Amino acid sequence: MNHKELIASMAAKMNAPKSVVADLLETTVATCTELLGEGKTIGFQSFGNFEVRKKEERLSVHPSTQVRTLIPPKLVVNFKQSNIVKDKFKDIPHHE
Amino acid sequence: MNKEKISSQEIIDLVASKASVSKRAAEEFLKVMIATIEEALMAGEVVKIKNFGTFKLQWNEPRKSVNVQTGEEIILHGYHKVTFTPEVSLKNIVNEPFAHLESVQLDSENDFVIPEKKEEEALDPLRIFTEQATEIKDLLSEINALSPAPKRKESAKKEVVVEDKFNIEEYRAAEEEVSMPIEKNEIEQPEIDSEIKLEQPEISDPKEPVTEVPKVDSVNVQFSEPIEPIFENESDPLFDSTPFSDGVKPKRKKWMLISVVLLLLAGCVGLYIFSIPVNMFSNDVYVEAKTELSYVKYVSIPGMFNSFKKFFSPEIKKVQVTETVVIPKDTAATDTVEVQEPVDSLQLLFDNPRVYNEFIASEQIMAGSRLTILSKKYYGTKDFWVYIYEANKERIQNPDNIEKGTLIRIPKLDPRLIDTSNPRCMLKARELYYEYVKKKP
Repeated sequence: MNHKELIASMAAKMNAPKSVVADLLETTVATCTELLGEGKTIGFQSFGNFEVRKKEERLSVHPSTQVRTLIPPKLVVNFKQSNIVKDKFKDIPHHE
Repeated sequence: MNKEKISSQEIIDLVASKASVSKRAAEEFLKVMIATIEEALMAGEVVKIKNFGTFKLQWNEPRKSVNVQTGEEIILHGYHKVTFTPEVSLKNIVNEPFAHLESVQLDSENDFVIPEKKEEEALDPLRIFTEQATEIKDLLSEINALSPAPKRKESAKKEVVVEDKFNIEEYRAAEEEVSMPIEKNEIEQPEIDSEIKLEQPEISDPKEPVTEVPKVDSVNVQFSEPIEPIFENESDPLFDSTPFSDGVKPKRKKWMLISVVLLLLAGCVGLYIFSIPVNMFSNDVYVEAKTELSYVKYVSIPGMFNSFKKFFSPEIKKVQVTETVVIPKDTAATDTVEVQEPVDSLQLLFDNPRVYNEFIASEQIMAGSRLTILSKKYYGTKDFWVYIYEANKERIQNPDNIEKGTLIRIPKLDPRLIDTSNPRCMLKARELYYEYVKKKP
Protein backbone atom coordinates (compact mmCIF):
# COMPACT_ATOMS: atom_id res chain seq x y z
CA MET A 1 0.00 0.00 0.00
CA ASN A 2 1.58 3.23 -1.03
CA HIS A 3 1.01 6.76 0.12
CA LYS A 4 -1.95 7.43 -2.17
CA GLU A 5 -3.70 4.21 -1.34
CA LEU A 6 -3.27 4.87 2.34
CA ILE A 7 -4.86 8.30 1.99
CA ALA A 8 -7.70 6.90 -0.05
CA SER A 9 -8.35 4.18 2.46
CA MET A 10 -8.26 6.60 5.37
CA ALA A 11 -10.49 9.09 3.62
CA ALA A 12 -13.07 6.37 3.08
CA LYS A 13 -13.04 5.47 6.76
CA MET A 14 -13.23 9.04 8.02
CA ASN A 15 -15.76 10.18 5.49
CA ALA A 16 -13.49 13.08 4.72
CA PRO A 17 -12.11 14.40 1.46
CA LYS A 18 -8.74 13.05 0.43
CA SER A 19 -7.16 16.47 0.38
CA VAL A 20 -7.91 17.01 4.06
CA VAL A 21 -6.54 13.60 4.95
CA ALA A 22 -3.47 14.23 2.85
CA ASP A 23 -2.86 17.53 4.60
CA LEU A 24 -3.28 15.98 8.01
CA LEU A 25 -0.97 13.13 7.16
CA GLU A 26 1.63 15.51 5.86
CA THR A 27 1.43 17.58 9.02
CA THR A 28 1.71 14.50 11.18
CA VAL A 29 4.73 13.27 9.28
CA ALA A 30 6.35 16.70 9.46
CA THR A 31 5.71 16.87 13.21
CA CYS A 32 7.12 13.41 13.80
CA THR A 33 10.15 14.12 11.66
CA GLU A 34 10.83 17.31 13.52
CA LEU A 35 10.55 15.63 16.89
CA LEU A 36 12.74 12.78 15.84
CA GLY A 37 15.22 15.29 14.47
CA GLU A 38 15.44 16.72 17.95
CA GLY A 39 16.23 13.26 19.18
CA LYS A 40 12.94 12.72 20.96
CA THR A 41 11.08 9.49 21.32
CA ILE A 42 7.55 9.32 20.00
CA GLY A 43 5.18 6.81 21.53
CA PHE A 44 1.98 5.96 19.70
CA GLN A 45 -0.12 4.15 22.17
CA SER A 46 -1.28 0.79 20.93
CA PHE A 47 1.12 0.96 18.00
CA GLY A 48 4.70 1.41 19.05
CA ASN A 49 7.58 3.73 19.76
CA PHE A 50 9.74 5.67 17.37
CA GLU A 51 13.08 6.17 18.92
CA VAL A 52 16.38 7.68 17.87
CA ARG A 53 19.32 5.46 18.63
CA LYS A 54 22.99 6.16 18.34
CA LYS A 55 25.14 3.67 16.51
CA GLU A 56 28.66 3.94 17.82
CA GLU A 57 31.61 4.35 15.54
CA ARG A 58 33.24 1.13 14.49
CA LEU A 59 36.10 -0.26 12.55
CA SER A 60 35.18 -2.26 9.51
CA VAL A 61 37.55 -4.42 7.55
CA HIS A 62 36.88 -5.21 3.94
CA PRO A 63 36.98 -8.98 3.80
CA SER A 64 38.83 -9.31 0.53
CA THR A 65 41.00 -6.18 0.35
CA GLN A 66 41.69 -5.92 4.10
CA VAL A 67 41.16 -2.18 3.88
CA ARG A 68 40.23 -0.91 7.30
CA THR A 69 37.68 1.85 7.45
CA LEU A 70 36.57 3.80 10.46
CA ILE A 71 32.81 4.22 10.26
CA PRO A 72 31.68 7.30 12.17
CA PRO A 73 28.85 7.19 14.69
CA LYS A 74 25.36 7.86 13.41
CA LEU A 75 21.84 8.35 14.59
CA VAL A 76 19.11 6.10 13.30
CA VAL A 77 15.38 5.85 13.76
CA ASN A 78 14.22 2.70 15.40
CA PHE A 79 10.64 1.48 15.64
CA LYS A 80 9.53 -0.96 18.25
CA GLN A 81 6.04 -2.27 18.09
CA SER A 82 3.91 -2.30 21.19
CA ASN A 83 2.76 -5.54 22.73
CA ILE A 84 -0.79 -4.77 21.70
CA VAL A 85 0.21 -4.87 18.05
CA LYS A 86 2.24 -7.98 18.61
CA ASP A 87 -0.77 -9.73 20.06
CA LYS A 88 -2.94 -8.60 17.20
CA PHE A 89 -0.61 -10.11 14.64
CA LYS A 90 -0.36 -13.37 16.53
CA ASP A 91 -3.42 -14.68 14.75
CA ILE A 92 -2.06 -14.26 11.27
CA PRO A 93 -1.10 -17.62 9.92
CA HIS A 94 2.53 -17.90 9.03
CA HIS A 95 3.25 -18.97 5.48
CA GLU A 96 6.56 -20.03 4.02
CA MET B 1 20.52 13.97 23.43
CA ASN B 2 17.05 14.53 24.65
CA LYS B 3 15.39 11.22 25.39
CA GLU B 4 12.13 12.82 26.33
CA LYS B 5 9.20 10.70 25.30
CA ILE B 6 6.36 12.30 23.45
CA SER B 7 3.04 10.62 23.98
CA SER B 8 0.40 10.29 21.30
CA GLN B 9 -1.62 12.93 23.11
CA GLU B 10 1.14 15.48 22.61
CA ILE B 11 1.39 14.54 18.97
CA ILE B 12 -2.32 15.09 18.62
CA ASP B 13 -2.02 18.52 20.19
CA LEU B 14 0.84 19.50 17.95
CA VAL B 15 -0.85 18.28 14.79
CA ALA B 16 -4.08 20.02 15.76
CA SER B 17 -2.37 23.34 16.26
CA LYS B 18 -0.27 23.04 13.15
CA ALA B 19 -3.03 21.95 10.81
CA SER B 20 -5.48 24.27 12.60
CA VAL B 21 -8.03 21.54 13.18
CA SER B 22 -9.79 20.52 16.36
CA LYS B 23 -8.01 18.13 18.68
CA ARG B 24 -10.81 15.66 18.31
CA ALA B 25 -10.39 15.58 14.56
CA ALA B 26 -6.66 15.13 14.91
CA GLU B 27 -7.17 12.33 17.39
CA GLU B 28 -9.57 10.59 15.13
CA PHE B 29 -7.23 10.99 12.23
CA LEU B 30 -4.36 9.43 14.15
CA LYS B 31 -6.50 6.51 15.29
CA VAL B 32 -7.69 5.86 11.77
CA MET B 33 -4.18 6.13 10.47
CA ILE B 34 -2.88 3.52 12.89
CA ALA B 35 -5.86 1.29 12.27
CA THR B 36 -5.43 1.52 8.52
CA ILE B 37 -1.75 0.72 8.73
CA GLU B 38 -2.47 -2.26 10.95
CA GLU B 39 -5.12 -3.53 8.59
CA ALA B 40 -2.89 -3.23 5.62
CA LEU B 41 -0.13 -5.03 7.44
CA MET B 42 -2.59 -7.68 8.52
CA ALA B 43 -3.40 -8.25 4.87
CA GLY B 44 0.28 -8.82 4.25
CA GLU B 45 0.83 -5.51 2.57
CA VAL B 46 3.68 -3.08 2.83
CA VAL B 47 2.69 0.41 3.93
CA LYS B 48 4.67 3.27 2.61
CA ILE B 49 4.33 6.83 3.86
CA LYS B 50 5.93 9.52 1.81
CA ASN B 51 8.86 11.34 3.45
CA PHE B 52 8.59 9.07 6.42
CA GLY B 53 9.25 5.43 5.82
CA THR B 54 7.94 1.98 5.18
CA PHE B 55 6.17 -0.38 7.52
CA LYS B 56 6.55 -4.06 6.90
CA LEU B 57 5.57 -7.21 8.66
CA GLN B 58 8.33 -9.64 9.41
CA TRP B 59 8.04 -13.17 10.71
CA ASN B 60 10.37 -14.06 13.52
CA GLU B 61 10.98 -17.77 13.74
CA PRO B 62 10.30 -19.57 16.99
CA ARG B 63 13.48 -20.34 18.86
CA LYS B 64 14.69 -22.28 21.81
CA SER B 65 15.79 -20.59 24.94
CA VAL B 66 16.57 -21.48 28.52
CA ASN B 67 14.73 -20.32 31.59
CA VAL B 68 17.36 -18.41 33.49
CA GLN B 69 16.01 -19.42 36.90
CA THR B 70 15.23 -23.10 36.42
CA GLY B 71 17.49 -23.97 33.52
CA GLU B 72 14.57 -25.54 31.71
CA GLU B 73 14.46 -25.39 27.97
CA ILE B 74 11.59 -23.30 26.72
CA ILE B 75 10.42 -22.48 23.25
CA LEU B 76 9.80 -18.88 22.36
CA HIS B 77 6.96 -18.81 19.91
CA GLY B 78 7.37 -17.24 16.56
CA TYR B 79 5.72 -13.90 16.09
CA HIS B 80 5.15 -11.20 13.54
CA LYS B 81 7.02 -8.01 13.99
CA VAL B 82 6.30 -4.64 12.48
CA THR B 83 9.50 -3.24 11.08
CA PHE B 84 10.00 0.32 10.07
CA THR B 85 12.54 1.44 7.50
CA PRO B 86 12.98 5.19 7.47
CA GLU B 87 13.25 6.97 4.17
CA VAL B 88 16.49 8.66 3.22
CA SER B 89 15.12 12.14 3.97
CA LEU B 90 14.14 11.13 7.50
CA LYS B 91 17.44 9.37 8.00
CA ASN B 92 19.35 12.46 7.02
CA ILE B 93 17.32 14.71 9.27
CA VAL B 94 17.80 12.44 12.26
CA ASN B 95 21.48 11.96 11.57
CA GLU B 96 22.16 15.64 11.11
CA PRO B 97 24.35 16.08 14.20
CA PHE B 98 26.75 13.53 12.78
CA ALA B 99 26.30 14.38 9.11
CA HIS B 100 29.66 16.12 8.92
CA LEU B 101 31.49 12.95 9.85
CA GLU B 102 32.90 10.76 7.18
CA SER B 103 34.22 7.27 7.19
CA VAL B 104 38.00 7.34 7.25
CA GLN B 105 40.08 4.80 5.45
CA LEU B 106 42.90 3.76 7.68
CA ASP B 107 46.29 2.76 6.36
CA SER B 108 45.92 -0.61 4.81
CA GLU B 109 48.18 -3.06 6.51
CA ASN B 110 49.48 -6.06 4.70
CA ASP B 111 50.10 -7.95 7.89
CA PHE B 112 47.80 -10.64 6.70
CA VAL B 113 49.35 -10.98 3.30
CA ILE B 114 53.03 -11.01 4.07
CA PRO B 115 53.16 -14.02 6.38
CA GLU B 116 51.29 -16.05 3.80
CA LYS B 117 53.92 -15.33 1.22
CA LYS B 118 56.67 -16.21 3.63
CA GLU B 119 55.02 -19.50 4.34
CA GLU B 120 54.86 -20.26 0.70
CA GLU B 121 58.54 -19.66 0.26
CA ALA B 122 59.37 -21.69 3.27
CA LEU B 123 57.15 -24.54 2.22
CA ASP B 124 58.64 -25.29 -1.12
CA PRO B 125 62.15 -24.02 -1.63
CA LEU B 126 62.54 -26.80 -4.16
CA ARG B 127 60.05 -25.22 -6.50
CA ILE B 128 61.79 -21.88 -6.23
CA PHE B 129 65.10 -23.56 -6.83
CA THR B 130 63.86 -25.17 -10.01
CA GLU B 131 62.43 -21.85 -11.12
CA GLN B 132 65.78 -20.21 -10.64
CA ALA B 133 67.42 -23.05 -12.50
CA THR B 134 65.19 -22.52 -15.52
CA GLU B 135 65.94 -18.81 -15.45
CA ILE B 136 69.64 -19.53 -15.35
CA LYS B 137 69.21 -21.94 -18.22
CA ASP B 138 67.60 -19.30 -20.33
CA LEU B 139 70.32 -16.80 -19.56
CA LEU B 140 73.02 -19.26 -20.41
CA SER B 141 71.48 -20.34 -23.62
CA GLU B 142 71.46 -16.68 -24.63
CA ILE B 143 75.11 -16.32 -23.75
CA ASN B 144 75.86 -19.48 -25.65
CA ALA B 145 74.19 -18.13 -28.71
CA LEU B 146 76.31 -14.99 -28.51
CA SER B 147 79.68 -16.69 -28.10
CA PRO B 148 79.84 -20.33 -29.05
CA ALA B 149 82.75 -21.56 -27.01
CA PRO B 150 84.60 -24.70 -27.98
CA LYS B 151 85.85 -25.01 -24.43
CA ARG B 152 82.43 -25.20 -23.05
CA LYS B 153 81.83 -28.77 -23.95
CA GLU B 154 85.05 -29.93 -22.46
CA SER B 155 84.40 -28.29 -19.17
CA ALA B 156 80.88 -29.54 -19.17
CA LYS B 157 82.00 -33.09 -19.66
CA LYS B 158 84.10 -32.83 -16.58
CA GLU B 159 81.29 -31.48 -14.55
CA VAL B 160 78.93 -34.24 -15.34
CA VAL B 161 80.98 -36.59 -13.30
CA VAL B 162 80.17 -34.45 -10.32
CA GLU B 163 76.54 -34.24 -11.24
CA ASP B 164 76.19 -37.96 -10.97
CA LYS B 165 76.89 -37.74 -7.28
CA PHE B 166 74.74 -34.65 -6.98
CA ASN B 167 76.71 -33.09 -4.23
CA ILE B 168 75.62 -29.47 -4.19
CA GLU B 169 78.93 -28.16 -2.92
CA GLU B 170 80.78 -29.64 -5.76
CA TYR B 171 78.12 -28.64 -8.16
CA ARG B 172 78.69 -25.05 -7.26
CA ALA B 173 82.41 -25.40 -7.43
CA ALA B 174 82.06 -26.83 -10.86
CA GLU B 175 79.89 -23.94 -11.86
CA GLU B 176 82.60 -21.53 -10.88
CA GLU B 177 85.20 -23.40 -12.75
CA VAL B 178 83.27 -23.37 -15.92
CA SER B 179 82.08 -19.84 -15.76
CA MET B 180 85.53 -18.43 -15.45
CA PRO B 181 86.87 -19.70 -18.74
CA ILE B 182 83.71 -18.75 -20.51
CA GLU B 183 84.20 -15.13 -19.68
CA LYS B 184 87.72 -15.27 -20.92
CA ASN B 185 86.84 -17.04 -24.08
CA GLU B 186 86.45 -13.99 -26.21
CA ILE B 187 89.94 -12.72 -25.69
CA GLU B 188 92.11 -15.69 -25.06
CA GLN B 189 90.39 -18.42 -26.92
CA PRO B 190 93.10 -19.60 -29.24
CA GLU B 191 95.82 -19.81 -26.63
CA ILE B 192 93.75 -21.55 -24.05
CA ASP B 193 92.43 -23.97 -26.53
CA SER B 194 95.80 -25.03 -27.66
CA GLU B 195 97.01 -25.46 -24.15
CA ILE B 196 94.05 -27.43 -23.09
CA LYS B 197 94.42 -29.69 -25.99
CA LEU B 198 97.96 -30.20 -25.00
CA GLU B 199 97.07 -30.87 -21.45
CA GLN B 200 94.16 -33.09 -21.94
CA PRO B 201 96.01 -36.27 -22.65
CA GLU B 202 98.45 -35.69 -19.85
CA ILE B 203 95.78 -35.32 -17.25
CA SER B 204 93.79 -38.18 -18.49
CA ASP B 205 96.73 -40.50 -18.18
CA PRO B 206 96.69 -40.99 -14.43
CA LYS B 207 92.98 -41.12 -14.22
CA GLU B 208 91.56 -42.76 -17.32
CA PRO B 209 88.44 -40.61 -17.81
CA VAL B 210 88.51 -41.55 -21.45
CA THR B 211 85.82 -44.09 -20.83
CA GLU B 212 83.72 -41.69 -18.89
CA VAL B 213 83.62 -38.84 -21.29
CA PRO B 214 81.47 -40.47 -23.96
CA LYS B 215 78.96 -41.68 -21.39
CA VAL B 216 78.43 -38.21 -20.21
CA ASP B 217 78.00 -36.48 -23.52
CA SER B 218 74.28 -36.89 -23.75
CA VAL B 219 73.73 -35.41 -20.34
CA ASN B 220 76.16 -32.68 -21.12
CA VAL B 221 73.84 -30.21 -22.67
CA GLN B 222 71.49 -30.17 -19.75
CA PHE B 223 74.11 -29.63 -17.15
CA SER B 224 76.35 -27.31 -18.98
CA GLU B 225 73.73 -24.63 -18.92
CA PRO B 226 72.71 -23.77 -15.35
CA ILE B 227 76.06 -22.38 -14.55
CA GLU B 228 77.10 -18.84 -15.02
CA PRO B 229 74.61 -16.66 -13.11
CA ILE B 230 75.28 -18.54 -9.94
CA PHE B 231 78.89 -17.64 -10.33
CA GLU B 232 78.00 -14.02 -9.80
CA ASN B 233 76.41 -14.78 -6.48
CA GLU B 234 79.16 -17.08 -5.39
CA SER B 235 80.85 -16.23 -2.11
CA ASP B 236 84.47 -16.69 -1.23
CA PRO B 237 84.07 -19.07 1.72
CA LEU B 238 82.26 -21.50 -0.45
CA PHE B 239 85.02 -21.43 -2.88
CA ASP B 240 87.57 -22.11 -0.21
CA SER B 241 85.71 -25.18 0.84
CA THR B 242 86.13 -26.84 -2.51
CA PRO B 243 88.45 -29.75 -2.60
CA PHE B 244 90.81 -27.91 -4.84
CA SER B 245 91.98 -25.40 -2.27
CA ASP B 246 93.30 -28.26 -0.24
CA GLY B 247 94.93 -29.84 -3.17
CA VAL B 248 96.81 -26.69 -4.05
CA LYS B 249 98.59 -26.36 -0.71
CA PRO B 250 102.05 -27.25 -1.99
CA LYS B 251 101.84 -24.39 -4.43
CA ARG B 252 100.98 -21.83 -1.79
CA LYS B 253 104.30 -20.03 -1.67
CA LYS B 254 103.86 -18.77 -5.15
CA TRP B 255 100.30 -17.75 -4.54
CA MET B 256 101.12 -15.79 -1.41
CA LEU B 257 102.63 -13.14 -3.62
CA ILE B 258 99.37 -12.45 -5.35
CA SER B 259 96.42 -10.83 -3.66
CA VAL B 260 93.76 -12.96 -2.02
CA VAL B 261 91.21 -12.38 -4.70
CA LEU B 262 93.70 -13.10 -7.41
CA LEU B 263 94.46 -16.34 -5.66
CA LEU B 264 90.86 -17.40 -5.65
CA LEU B 265 90.29 -16.61 -9.26
CA ALA B 266 93.54 -18.12 -10.40
CA GLY B 267 92.70 -21.17 -8.37
CA CYS B 268 89.51 -21.34 -10.27
CA VAL B 269 91.42 -21.49 -13.50
CA GLY B 270 93.76 -24.10 -12.13
CA LEU B 271 90.84 -26.14 -10.93
CA TYR B 272 89.41 -25.98 -14.37
CA ILE B 273 92.46 -27.65 -15.74
CA PHE B 274 92.49 -30.35 -13.09
CA SER B 275 88.79 -30.67 -12.90
CA ILE B 276 88.67 -34.19 -14.22
CA PRO B 277 90.53 -35.82 -11.38
CA VAL B 278 89.20 -33.53 -8.68
CA ASN B 279 85.61 -33.84 -9.65
CA MET B 280 85.75 -37.57 -9.48
CA PHE B 281 85.70 -37.30 -5.75
CA SER B 282 83.27 -35.95 -3.23
CA ASN B 283 84.36 -34.04 -0.16
CA ASP B 284 84.54 -37.19 1.89
CA VAL B 285 87.34 -38.67 -0.16
CA TYR B 286 89.26 -35.52 -0.85
CA VAL B 287 92.39 -36.99 0.70
CA GLU B 288 92.49 -39.44 -2.11
CA ALA B 289 91.98 -36.65 -4.53
CA LYS B 290 94.91 -34.86 -3.01
CA THR B 291 97.23 -37.69 -3.70
CA GLU B 292 95.91 -37.99 -7.18
CA LEU B 293 96.50 -34.35 -7.75
CA SER B 294 100.06 -34.43 -6.64
CA TYR B 295 100.47 -37.33 -8.96
CA VAL B 296 99.13 -35.30 -11.78
CA LYS B 297 101.39 -32.44 -10.88
CA TYR B 298 104.47 -34.49 -11.35
CA VAL B 299 103.45 -35.47 -14.74
CA SER B 300 102.28 -32.27 -16.24
CA ILE B 301 102.04 -29.22 -14.13
CA PRO B 302 105.17 -27.33 -13.18
CA GLY B 303 105.88 -25.74 -16.52
CA MET B 304 102.28 -25.56 -17.58
CA PHE B 305 101.17 -23.88 -14.45
CA ASN B 306 103.55 -21.01 -14.78
CA SER B 307 102.60 -20.39 -18.33
CA PHE B 308 98.98 -20.44 -17.33
CA LYS B 309 99.59 -17.90 -14.67
CA LYS B 310 101.10 -15.60 -17.20
CA PHE B 311 98.12 -15.97 -19.40
CA PHE B 312 95.53 -15.72 -16.79
CA SER B 313 96.74 -13.14 -14.33
CA PRO B 314 95.97 -10.17 -16.60
CA GLU B 315 92.75 -11.87 -17.54
CA ILE B 316 91.70 -12.27 -14.00
CA LYS B 317 92.02 -8.59 -13.40
CA LYS B 318 89.69 -7.98 -16.26
CA VAL B 319 87.18 -10.34 -14.83
CA GLN B 320 87.33 -8.56 -11.55
CA VAL B 321 86.59 -5.32 -13.27
CA THR B 322 83.55 -6.71 -14.94
CA GLU B 323 82.31 -8.01 -11.65
CA THR B 324 82.64 -4.71 -9.90
CA VAL B 325 80.91 -3.00 -12.74
CA VAL B 326 77.91 -5.26 -12.53
CA ILE B 327 77.13 -4.46 -8.92
CA PRO B 328 76.63 -0.71 -9.26
CA LYS B 329 74.44 -1.37 -12.25
CA ASP B 330 72.11 -3.42 -10.12
CA THR B 331 71.81 -0.80 -7.45
CA ALA B 332 71.22 1.88 -10.03
CA ALA B 333 68.37 -0.08 -11.47
CA THR B 334 66.54 -0.16 -8.16
CA ASP B 335 66.70 3.59 -7.73
CA THR B 336 63.28 5.12 -7.62
CA VAL B 337 62.28 7.85 -9.97
CA GLU B 338 60.88 10.90 -8.33
CA VAL B 339 57.87 12.44 -9.91
CA GLN B 340 58.01 16.14 -9.95
CA GLU B 341 54.73 17.91 -9.59
CA PRO B 342 54.21 20.63 -12.10
CA VAL B 343 53.73 24.09 -10.75
CA ASP B 344 50.71 25.57 -12.43
CA SER B 345 48.10 28.20 -11.84
CA LEU B 346 46.23 25.91 -9.47
CA GLN B 347 49.31 25.46 -7.33
CA LEU B 348 49.74 29.20 -7.22
CA LEU B 349 46.15 29.48 -6.17
CA PHE B 350 46.84 27.06 -3.35
CA ASP B 351 50.04 28.66 -2.22
CA ASN B 352 49.09 32.30 -2.26
CA PRO B 353 47.10 33.52 0.71
CA ARG B 354 43.52 33.89 -0.35
CA VAL B 355 41.92 37.29 -0.10
CA TYR B 356 38.18 37.41 0.33
CA ASN B 357 36.61 40.54 -1.05
CA GLU B 358 33.46 39.30 -2.69
CA PHE B 359 30.76 37.52 -0.83
CA ILE B 360 27.85 35.65 -2.28
CA ALA B 361 25.78 35.41 0.89
CA SER B 362 25.76 35.76 4.63
CA GLU B 363 24.35 33.35 7.16
CA GLN B 364 23.41 33.63 10.77
CA ILE B 365 24.68 30.79 12.90
CA MET B 366 21.85 28.99 14.66
CA ALA B 367 21.66 25.92 16.82
CA GLY B 368 22.87 23.04 14.74
CA SER B 369 24.49 25.21 12.08
CA ARG B 370 27.83 24.07 10.94
CA LEU B 371 30.39 25.40 8.52
CA THR B 372 30.41 22.07 6.75
CA ILE B 373 26.69 22.31 6.16
CA LEU B 374 27.04 25.84 4.83
CA SER B 375 29.85 24.67 2.60
CA LYS B 376 27.70 21.91 1.23
CA LYS B 377 24.94 24.38 0.61
CA TYR B 378 27.03 26.91 -1.29
CA TYR B 379 29.91 24.92 -2.74
CA GLY B 380 28.39 21.49 -3.10
CA THR B 381 30.80 19.72 -0.77
CA LYS B 382 31.41 20.03 2.92
CA ASP B 383 35.15 19.79 2.42
CA PHE B 384 35.45 23.43 1.43
CA TRP B 385 34.23 24.77 4.77
CA VAL B 386 37.85 25.74 5.44
CA TYR B 387 37.52 28.64 3.01
CA ILE B 388 34.46 29.93 4.80
CA TYR B 389 36.43 29.71 7.98
CA GLU B 390 39.34 31.56 6.42
CA ALA B 391 37.07 34.37 5.32
CA ASN B 392 35.52 34.69 8.79
CA LYS B 393 38.52 33.97 10.93
CA GLU B 394 38.21 37.11 13.01
CA ARG B 395 34.67 36.16 14.08
CA ILE B 396 35.20 32.50 14.77
CA GLN B 397 37.27 31.38 17.71
CA ASN B 398 36.65 27.69 17.34
CA PRO B 399 35.46 26.35 14.00
CA ASP B 400 33.96 23.33 15.74
CA ASN B 401 31.79 25.38 18.03
CA ILE B 402 30.67 28.72 16.69
CA GLU B 403 28.72 31.00 18.93
CA LYS B 404 25.04 31.30 18.12
CA GLY B 405 24.06 34.44 16.29
CA THR B 406 27.42 34.89 14.61
CA LEU B 407 27.04 36.35 11.15
CA ILE B 408 29.03 34.32 8.69
CA ARG B 409 29.86 35.67 5.24
CA ILE B 410 30.13 33.15 2.49
CA PRO B 411 33.02 34.17 0.22
CA LYS B 412 32.97 33.95 -3.51
CA LEU B 413 35.61 31.45 -4.48
CA ASP B 414 37.52 30.83 -7.66
CA PRO B 415 35.71 27.96 -9.36
CA ARG B 416 39.05 26.25 -9.96
CA LEU B 417 39.63 26.20 -6.24
CA ILE B 418 36.44 24.38 -5.44
CA ASP B 419 36.44 21.92 -8.29
CA THR B 420 35.07 18.81 -6.64
CA SER B 421 36.23 16.65 -9.52
CA ASN B 422 39.84 17.70 -9.03
CA PRO B 423 41.51 15.56 -6.39
CA ARG B 424 44.10 18.25 -5.74
CA CYS B 425 41.42 20.69 -4.62
CA MET B 426 40.08 18.11 -2.22
CA LEU B 427 43.58 17.40 -0.99
CA LYS B 428 44.25 21.06 -0.39
CA ALA B 429 41.02 21.44 1.54
CA ARG B 430 42.00 18.45 3.62
CA GLU B 431 45.39 19.97 4.33
CA LEU B 432 43.82 23.22 5.44
CA TYR B 433 41.41 21.28 7.56
CA TYR B 434 44.22 19.62 9.48
CA GLU B 435 45.99 22.92 9.80
CA TYR B 436 43.02 24.63 11.38
CA VAL B 437 41.93 21.79 13.56
CA LYS B 438 45.41 21.62 15.04
CA LYS B 439 45.44 25.35 15.69
CA LYS B 440 42.22 25.32 17.58
CA PRO B 441 42.70 25.86 21.35
